Amino acid sequence: MIKTFILSFKLKIAYLVNSIIFSIKQLPIIGKMLPDKTLYSSKGIKILATIIASLLEIIGTFIGKLFYILFMIFSVLSIYKTPLEDTFLHIFVFLTIIGAMLNTYMFNPSKDKYYAMFVMRMDAKKYTLSNYFYSILKVIIGFMPFTIIFGFISNVNLIYLVILPFFIASIKMIFNLYFLNLYNKKKVIVNENKPVKHIWIFTAILLVIAYGLPYIGIVINQLSFIIISILAIVIAIFSIKYLFKYEKYRELYKKILNPAELNYSNNANDIVKQNVQKQIKYGEDIKSNKKGYAYFNDLFVKRHRSILMSSAKKIAAVSFFIIIAAISISMVREDIKKILNEITLNFLPYFVFIMYIINRGQVVTQAMFMNCDHSMLTYSFYRKPKAILGLFKERLKSVILINLFPAIVIGVGLALILYVTGGTDNIYNYYVLIVSIASMSIFFSVHYLVMYYCMQPYNYNSEIKDSRYKIVSAITYIVCYFTLQLKLPTFYFGVFTVCFSIIYCLASLLIAYRIAPKTFKIKV
Amino acid sequence: MKLIVSDVKKNFGAKEVLKGINFEFEKGSIYGLLGRNGAGKTTFFNALNKDIDVDDGKFYIQENNIKRDLTIDDIGYVISVPTVPEFLTGREFLKFFIDINKEKIKNLKSIDEYFDFMKIDVEDRDKLLKDYSHGMKNKMQMLINIIANPNVLLLDEPLTSLDVVVAEEMKEMLREIKQDHIIIFSTHIMDLAVSLCDEIVILSHGVLEKVDKNNLDDKEVKTKIIEALKEEEYHD
Repeated sequence: MIKTFILSFKLKIAYLVNSIIFSIKQLPIIGKMLPDKTLYSSKGIKILATIIASLLEIIGTFIGKLFYILFMIFSVLSIYKTPLEDTFLHIFVFLTIIGAMLNTYMFNPSKDKYYAMFVMRMDAKKYTLSNYFYSILKVIIGFMPFTIIFGFISNVNLIYLVILPFFIASIKMIFNLYFLNLYNKKKVIVNENKPVKHIWIFTAILLVIAYGLPYIGIVINQLSFIIISILAIVIAIFSIKYLFKYEKYRELYKKILNPAELNYSNNANDIVKQNVQKQIKYGEDIKSNKKGYAYFNDLFVKRHRSILMSSAKKIAAVSFFIIIAAISISMVREDIKKILNEITLNFLPYFVFIMYIINRGQVVTQAMFMNCDHSMLTYSFYRKPKAILGLFKERLKSVILINLFPAIVIGVGLALILYVTGGTDNIYNYYVLIVSIASMSIFFSVHYLVMYYCMQPYNYNSEIKDSRYKIVSAITYIVCYFTLQLKLPTFYFGVFTVCFSIIYCLASLLIAYRIAPKTFKIKV
Repeated sequence: MKLIVSDVKKNFGAKEVLKGINFEFEKGSIYGLLGRNGAGKTTFFNALNKDIDVDDGKFYIQENNIKRDLTIDDIGYVISVPTVPEFLTGREFLKFFIDINKEKIKNLKSIDEYFDFMKIDVEDRDKLLKDYSHGMKNKMQMLINIIANPNVLLLDEPLTSLDVVVAEEMKEMLREIKQDHIIIFSTHIMDLAVSLCDEIVILSHGVLEKVDKNNLDDKEVKTKIIEALKEEEYHD
């Protein structure tokens, strides 16, 4: 079994090493300097990549756990009035149950498993068990330093902190056992990358228990923690026997690792692609009376209503309720009323980030590519400047309209909040709020569509292949994030936003009209 | 009408894929393009279709002794994996295509006449293209390219995955339309190339070479092709 493990580990590292070399080759300047043909056989770079791969494996063991304990548990402790040590254990226990449910290792359809068991034909049981115990070992080792450090600061007894990592491992093993049993008895395959509905509900309930109960003063006490832990560890130890007795690993993985599932887990684009494809709705009633490009675009939008419109509607609905809630609270709480008034008058820059987050531009262009341009761009008539720009115009209208709907709700809502929280000396603030939120929305819509047309970053496999596109996306994010640091009077910032949006839209449309006919094609 | 390929070169990094191709394709013939895996057939097609820029050289169309640059209008490219807009029905796709190309299409027919021509069943015409079979999608793709009536039709392994009946229909149709087009047909199936194509062209060592079929029977042509393709091994 150890031999199998070493072999599979080598395989995993080799796969990782080659991916690292591939990534190095993709780097702008360094990549060009490297040789084409001999790269993968070059000793030096192989050693370098192996070092990086080993470091990644070691860092991977620890880093996630550090952030998990730091952000999910340690950093929130101070908001509760319950004893620090009890709250720490309380949140830890319930989050552990969620983690064990969503992250089993054994039921994660990953490519390295496919390569090992089906391409290389390794013994499924030996492979699975050895790697499973390795993953469990990584859980224990990875958690130990951080439970001790952060637990110690939170006044938790050292013995509990040493037990905690074993507790996590045990809960994971128990869930694993349960899932295996589920397959054995009912042939139900749990795919941890696409949890079913009741897992989400269960997760939500556990989250409420983890974070909500301490708020009203309820936490588990240390005695019950010890009892649960010992119980879990005992069950886990007994489950090992079952794991060794179990013989159907190959059969199980044949189902877990079918090609569709593999793609599902490993390629974010495929998830989107499958989702996008599923979303085509055809009804007898979906017709269009328009002509030409408008006809084409109209049918596209109507048949993809569920992905294009539903999120915009949801955002509008959520915004609506938040606004109603804000208005109602401000009626009864004077202090909150003041804060809300302050927000509407001085925190408009925040809304750049919010509008960025809720803009569906990227999803819409993605859908356009995957479900439409991906196939249409192979036709030469579709690539003529006239066709590209004709459709561009239609799409521009649709994208702007889709995004404008929630924007108007937010803009009008903010103006309303401003009104009920005491109003303003400057009556123009009301208009500025509405118009600037709308123009932010239009700005992002135009931005994404122009970016898409000027760079067309996708290749035949619907992967983003243009580093410029990634860079511009990143810059957009950074700039929007930066606005969170700003606090400016709404009037001035609003007027600035509107002017900027108008200039930007005009300029970028001009550019798109000039260069899209040349750039709008599938990346080869 | 002629398609003139003049000294076309394309490199990928240090690898020279097209090393100065010079060739003339003439209207009225189906050209079978053969080449070993990795010889650069797809690169050649992509260059013609302007999906990639060439490093050197040019493509021209010569008509009535007037030579001009090849434009995207001249090209129709049918790829082996049929690509159709899945959210439209067959009828809607045709309607859209005809809508925006009305002025250009010669002797425009009704949508159903086109479907009849392509032998697409009545009950399939109003189904979403996403529910079409592989062969039907292929037919749609071909149909659009035929109505568009480009001067040059590039076909990349278009018949390989079709059932025998559809493949035979498509072959018949290609023979029907060849007098008005330059058809370049890329394939790995030698029998198909020999039986369907009027000329055989081999892409090897980054250049195009015509295989002279004159006075040879099919078997001799095949031997000649194999020999021409095998040569590549000695060079690499």
